[in-house]
Amino acid sequence: MEKYKTLIYKFLLLAGIIFCFNFIYTKFFFEKDLQKHSPIINSIRKVTDEKNEIIYLGESSNTTFREDDVDKRSISDMISDYYPSRKFGNINKEASHAGIYYTFLEAIPENSNVKTVIVTLNLRSFDASWIYSDLETALQKSLVLIKDHPPLFNRLMLSFKGYDIKSDAEREVQFKKSWTESKLTFEHPFPYDNVTDWDFAMAEKGILNEDGSKNSEATVLACHYIKTYAFQIDTIQNPRIKDFDNIVALAKKRNWNLVFNLMAENIDKAESLVGNELVSFIKQNRDLLVSRYSKKGVTIVDNLTLIGNDEFVDQNWTTEHYSEFGRRLIAKNVSDSLKKFYPKDYKDYVSANKKISSFYNDCEGEIVWGQMQTLTDEIAYSGKMSSKTGQKQDYSISLDYSIRNLPDSLKSISISFQKFQREINNDAKIVIQISGSRFKYQWNGFIVNDIAKSLNKWEEVKLNFPLPDDFYNASVIKIYVFNPTNLLMYVDDMKVDFEK
Amino acid sequence: MLALSHRFGFYYPEHTIKFILPIGLSFHTFQSLSYVIEVYKGNQKAEKHFGIYSLYVMFYPQLVTGPIERPQNLLVQLRQEKHFEYANFAAGLRLILFGLFTKMVIADNIAIYADQIYGDPMAYNSISVLKGLFFYSFQIYCDFFGYSTIAVGCAKVMGYNLMDNFKNPYLSKSIGEFWQRWHISLSTWFRDYVYFSLGGNRVKIHRWMINIMIIFVLSGLWHGANWTFVIWGFAHGFFYIVETMIIRMLKLRRSANETIAKIVDAFNVVKTFIIVSFIWILFRASDMHQVKLILKAIVRNIHVKDDFHVEPKTWLFLLLFIILDSFLFNTRFDSWANAKPVVVRWSLYSLLLFLIIVFSSVNNFPFIYFQF
Repeated sequence: MEKYKTLIYKFLLLAGIIFCFNFIYTKFFFEKDLQKHSPIINSIRKVTDEKNEIIYLGESSNTTFREDDVDKRSISDMISDYYPSRKFGNINKEASHAGIYYTFLEAIPENSNVKTVIVTLNLRSFDASWIYSDLETALQKSLVLIKDHPPLFNRLMLSFKGYDIKSDAEREVQFKKSWTESKLTFEHPFPYDNVTDWDFAMAEKGILNEDGSKNSEATVLACHYIKTYAFQIDTIQNPRIKDFDNIVALAKKRNWNLVFNLMAENIDKAESLVGNELVSFIKQNRDLLVSRYSKKGVTIVDNLTLIGNDEFVDQNWTTEHYSEFGRRLIAKNVSDSLKKFYPKDYKDYVSANKKISSFYNDCEGEIVWGQMQTLTDEIAYSGKMSSKTGQKQDYSISLDYSIRNLPDSLKSISISFQKFQREINNDAKIVIQISGSRFKYQWNGFIVNDIAKSLNKWEEVKLNFPLPDDFYNASVIKIYVFNPTNLLMYVDDMKVDFEK
Repeated sequence: MLALSHRFGFYYPEHTIKFILPIGLSFHTFQSLSYVIEVYKGNQKAEKHFGIYSLYVMFYPQLVTGPIERPQNLLVQLRQEKHFEYANFAAGLRLILFGLFTKMVIADNIAIYADQIYGDPMAYNSISVLKGLFFYSFQIYCDFFGYSTIAVGCAKVMGYNLMDNFKNPYLSKSIGEFWQRWHISLSTWFRDYVYFSLGGNRVKIHRWMINIMIIFVLSGLWHGANWTFVIWGFAHGFFYIVETMIIRMLKLRRSANETIAKIVDAFNVVKTFIIVSFIWILFRASDMHQVKLILKAIVRNIHVKDDFHVEPKTWLFLLLFIILDSFLFNTRFDSWANAKPVVVRWSLYSLLLFLIIVFSSVNNFPFIYFQF
């Protein structure tokens, strides 16, 4: 009896010690660990701190842009343009999926202002190679500390690797197994019933060039499309279904409006590389998800076929990374779906299809052009910042724009900006660079000091440039100041107007 | 294995083949050999119960990386009836706690720095590379010692006593003593079954030297069929012989003056540690090219600037371990802690527990000896 008494005392002592540990850890060490291992907590906290009402959960599809995009902002930022009176926030983490979003959403305090949650629904995240991705270990590790348990317990889980931790080789075994064992059911007779066989056959047969030789690059891509999209969602086994179901249940519990934003896939390429069978799987999966979650009361924004091949940033891989035009289309679709929750707040201030011909950058950092790293607060014509060139910083902020996004029948460009210099500089030029595979490359440089050469004061530089006749054969136009000297030249308030 | 599987028509990728290789193969092979030899020599009665024999070979706490047990110790215990004993339970938990601290707080935290240096030695200053060697010496010790301590602790909880695999090896005054304190179960295995069979030291001096070299090179080969391991074993054998010969030829004796003797001992401890640390380069390097790079970096990179920064807490933990290891000279954590007053004991347990939970490395470093 005495022995048991001692055991009970020791157990109680241990419990007391652990309670104290939790206090000490929370007070002195937890925050540092959070910042080091789960920095996503800052985005979650921002949602509460900024009293956001609508939040967007996304991965790289939200934020990736193309180099020639003028507006390089994320889809979520573009959606927020339509609801200027509502507070928008976003929680973004690369390679995330519904399981990760669920943990983020759970971490949002119940007393937050969130009313509407837009969750990225990426079709590929249901595929074995994403479910068993080698990024999963890092993702799961980053969630441990933000889970809804006492901080000390979470740290214990992190220390003892109490999360889904597997080596890359183990993950590879998992998805390869799934590719072989998950059977595919085709509408018409088809020689292969699993991804492994189909992929092998494609690799053997290959995509052929016109001369009959094998196009290795296209073949690799076709195989990749098969491995990525050839699956049929099993609503019982697929873990993503459970994750999205959990999100639906959580939204109901918290009384949130829930929107699933089904991302566009490159259907054109899937069809041209592999064929209708693959597209049929993609659409079948889309139909299943739309039907399942519509029935559960979720608003589904179906963007699956919205975006054409040209608007996909990655032409040699399967991603949901879109050009500015593509992101705008999706933002428009999502904002339309939000009208039912916020009918009075919608403002059609950006039309997704409208082609603009006037561009202006005040160098304050809010409008993203190329070479934003040149912005400095050393001196400014308006506001607080300007773009600094010279002394190994050869380029000013740069308008890089896709010509197909410009209106038709343009004849010239009118460029103006403010410049400041302390010494005469005969090498700094305004450059208009036009390029494209069906266009003879043009690099037109005009010496800035031939137009305006005042020293120690801001001075306006103006230039008109007639566009070449075959301008529309080109793909990209870039306009910037090029200053490969050691003499400083500051540029501010750059304006570019394409004129008819 | 890869060639064999192809021969039988199984085209598994290499990592799958590696995956299906039995874990701890070299350890339980040696444990089985030990049984066979002891039975053959008549020192051990043959075990006729297949279950007990299997348990002896695959006894889970020490299955993966030892200690390599002898039938006279473990097999006998497996036949005994065991009951829960609080003293064993407490002693076992103490060992597990200390083992976890050694592995998770010390070995895994310094592994980051050792990996950094071994990953690209030429990018670092000579001093940083030397620090990297120093860290690796402690990483491998704390990693392997940690595992062994946990294994001994797990067995102890169930009432089984396993042999100690380490006894403060870095406090050895010579290479010979180092091998009496490092991976004891392996070195005694080689001593009993190979060295003695070759005649041990009851032979002419040149034959004795050959015997020593044979067991050290074999010990290297046991770790893997790689030249680095062979040379690692050879280097230990070489220094063992050189030290023994110097002591014999110069007829060195411990000084009668206690102060002088202590200074000489301290010098010998440092000397042995430095030699062992340099020989670890061969053990850690992936191939001889990397060995050359590390030695080159030590000699040439005196003026190279680098950003090798070690977090102060890492030094602090290492210092704490060195202090604890010194206190534990020729004893074991469970019995040492048990002899302390309850307040000291529980304060120490609390500290170790807190360090394990809060300061363990979040990176995944499998036990180094898992690969053997």
